[in-house]
Amino acid sequence: MSYGSVGNRCDVRLMIEIENLTKSFELVQALNGLSLSAHDGRVTGLIGPNGAGKTTAFRIIYGLLVADQGRALVDGVDVAQNRMLAQRQLGVLPDVRGLYSRLTAREHIRYFGQLHGAEGAALEADIDELVERLGMADFADRLAKGFSRGQELKVALGRAMVHRPKNLILDEPTNGLDVMSSRAVRALILEMKADGHCILLSSHIMSEVSALCDHLVFVSEGRAVATGTPDELRAQAGVDDLEEVFVRVLGKHVDQGEATP
Amino acid sequence: MRDQISSGWLGRLMTVFKKELRDHTRDRRSLLLALIYPMLGPLLVAVGLSIAGKTLQGDFRAQFITIPVIGLDHAPALRDHLQANNIRFMAAPDDKEAAVRDGRVPVVMIVPQSARGQDRFTVELITNLGRVDNLKVTARLLRTISAYNEMIAEQKARDAGLAEGYGVPIKIKRTNVARDANIAVFFYNMIPPLVIFMIFLGGVHLAIDTTVGERERGSLEPLLLAPVERWVLLLAKSGAAFVFTAITTLVNLAAFRLFMGAAVTASERLVAPPGWDVFAMAFVVAVPLMMIAVALQMSVAVITRSMKEAQIYLGLLPLIPALPGMVMVFSPMNPTDLNVAVPVLGQMLLINQLVSEQALDLGHVLIATTSTTLSAALIFLLAAKWFRREKMFVLG
Repeated sequence: MSYGSVGNRCDVRLMIEIENLTKSFELVQALNGLSLSAHDGRVTGLIGPNGAGKTTAFRIIYGLLVADQGRALVDGVDVAQNRMLAQRQLGVLPDVRGLYSRLTAREHIRYFGQLHGAEGAALEADIDELVERLGMADFADRLAKGFSRGQELKVALGRAMVHRPKNLILDEPTNGLDVMSSRAVRALILEMKADGHCILLSSHIMSEVSALCDHLVFVSEGRAVATGTPDELRAQAGVDDLEEVFVRVLGKHVDQGEATP
Repeated sequence: MRDQISSGWLGRLMTVFKKELRDHTRDRRSLLLALIYPMLGPLLVAVGLSIAGKTLQGDFRAQFITIPVIGLDHAPALRDHLQANNIRFMAAPDDKEAAVRDGRVPVVMIVPQSARGQDRFTVELITNLGRVDNLKVTARLLRTISAYNEMIAEQKARDAGLAEGYGVPIKIKRTNVARDANIAVFFYNMIPPLVIFMIFLGGVHLAIDTTVGERERGSLEPLLLAPVERWVLLLAKSGAAFVFTAITTLVNLAAFRLFMGAAVTASERLVAPPGWDVFAMAFVVAVPLMMIAVALQMSVAVITRSMKEAQIYLGLLPLIPALPGMVMVFSPMNPTDLNVAVPVLGQMLLINQLVSEQALDLGHVLIATTSTTLSAALIFLLAAKWFRREKMFVLG
C-alpha cells in the first residue's frame, strides 16, 4: 500500500514540535510550559490524566487555539504565524468525531479532500483507495446517521487522511471501539508509521500505548514530567508494567506538586 | 504533495457553500421552513380576505336588514322611511343589552312612547361597536335615520317659507378616492410586514445549524482543522442561509399573489391584488433585506452558547423589523430621502409603496439598497470577527 508514503520527502524538519507552551482559560492554567517533539517514522504518545492539558496542546498544534506563550511548529511552520500552511501538513482525529448525519461516508471524505484543494478524478481515486483501506465499502454510500462508533471512526480517519498529510494527530483513537475495530486501528497506525509518518497520539489504554508508542511524554498539570522510550521509562521507574510507571511518575509528581507552597 | 491544488479562497467558499446546500436540502426542517411555512401566512390572510369578500358580496345598501325594535309604532313616519330603505323589524329580546353585547342581535332601536304625535323626539340605539359585523348594520341604520332627519328638517323649513337648504345648513358630499372595496386594500397592506417577518425567519434554521449547531454536535472542530479562512467559512454558510431565505421569500410572495388572487375572484366587489410584476419587483427590492437578515442571524448564532439559546434570540428577531411594518398598516409613512436611508425601514417603505401600486422613486431605491447592504456587510464583518474567537470552536 503506497497511500500516504512520505519516504521521499526532502524537508529539513519533518515533525511536530512544541516549545514551552502556556495556555490559560480564565482561572484554569491548562498548559504550563509544555515542550515535546514528535519525529517522523515513529509514534509519540502524549500520556496523562484527564485535564492534564493534552487536548489543549493538540488544539494549539492544529491551530484551533493560540498559545499565551511558546510556539508550535509543524514541519518547521509556526502554526500561529501560518495556520493554513501548517494545517495542510496535518491530519487530525479529534476526540469528538463530529460527523454530518445527512452526508454519506464518501461525501465526508470528498468534502474534506476538496477543502484541502483536491478535486476531480485524482480525489475520487484517493477516496476509493481510502474506502478500501479502511474497510468502508459496506457503508461508504450510506448517510452517517446511525453509524456505529467504529464506522464513525473510520470516516473520521478517512477525512483526516484524504489529503495525504505528513503528520497525524490522533486523540484517543480507539476510544469506545470494540476489540476488532481497535485492533484494526492499531494495525493502521503501525502501517502509517512504517510509511514514515510522524504520529502523535493520546491514549488512556496503557497496553495500547505500550504496543504502539516509540516515545512517550507524560504530562501532568500542563507540563511534561517524564519523557523517553517505554523501556527507558520502565527502567527509570524500576517496574515492568507501563501502567505502574504511569501511576508512579504521576503520583510522584502530584505529591511534589502538593508539597510545593 | 498533491498535484491538484486549488489555492483560491473562492474554490473553498464554493466547496463549503455546496456542502451546506446539499446537507440542508436533505433536512426536513430546513425544507419545511423554506417551502411550507411561507405559505401559511398568505393562506390565512387570503381566507380572511375571502370571508370579507363574502360579507361585502353585492350592494349592501340594497340588502334587507332586520333590526330589533321597541316602540317603533310611536313614530310611523320614521318606520315607513326605514321600510322604504330595505330595513325590516323584529321584536327586541327582553335582555336587549345582553343580547347586543353577546352579538345575538346587532343593535336594538328604542322609540319612547313620548314620541307619539311629536316632530322632535329621541331614539335610543343599543350598540356594540366592538364587533365589526354590528358596525356595518349600525352605520346603515344611522345613515338612514340621518337621511330621514334631513328630509323632515327640509320639509319644516319649506313649510315655514324659508329658503331651500335652510333646515340643513351644511350638507356633506363624500368623494372616496380609495379603490373600491378598500377592505381588500387593507388586507394587501398586511403583505409587507408579513413578508418581512418571513425574510427574517427563512434562513434561521440554517444559520443556527451551521454555526452553533455544528459546534454543539462536535463537527465544527474537524471543519476548522481544514485550511480554510474563518471568514470564508462564515461567508459560505451565510450564502447557503441566504439561498434558503430567498427561496422562502419567493414562495411567500408567490403564495400571497396566488392565494389572494384566488380569494378575490370569488367576490364581485373586491379589487384584485397587485400584479405578478409588482411581486417580482418586491422580491428584488427585498434582496438587501435578506442579506441583513442573514447577517443578523449569523452574528447572533456565533455568539450564543447553545442552539437553544440561539433559537430563543432568533425567534424574537423577526418581530423587531415586523413591528414598524405592523404600525404602518394603521399609520402609513411616506418614503423620503431620509427615512429610506434607515436600514430595513427603507425596504419596508418601498415594499409598501409597491403593494399600494405607487411608482417607486429610483433615488429612494438606490439609497435604501446601499444603506441596508452596507449595514449587512458591517454586521457580517462583526460576525466574522466573533467567529474567530476561541470560545466559538472549543466544545466543552
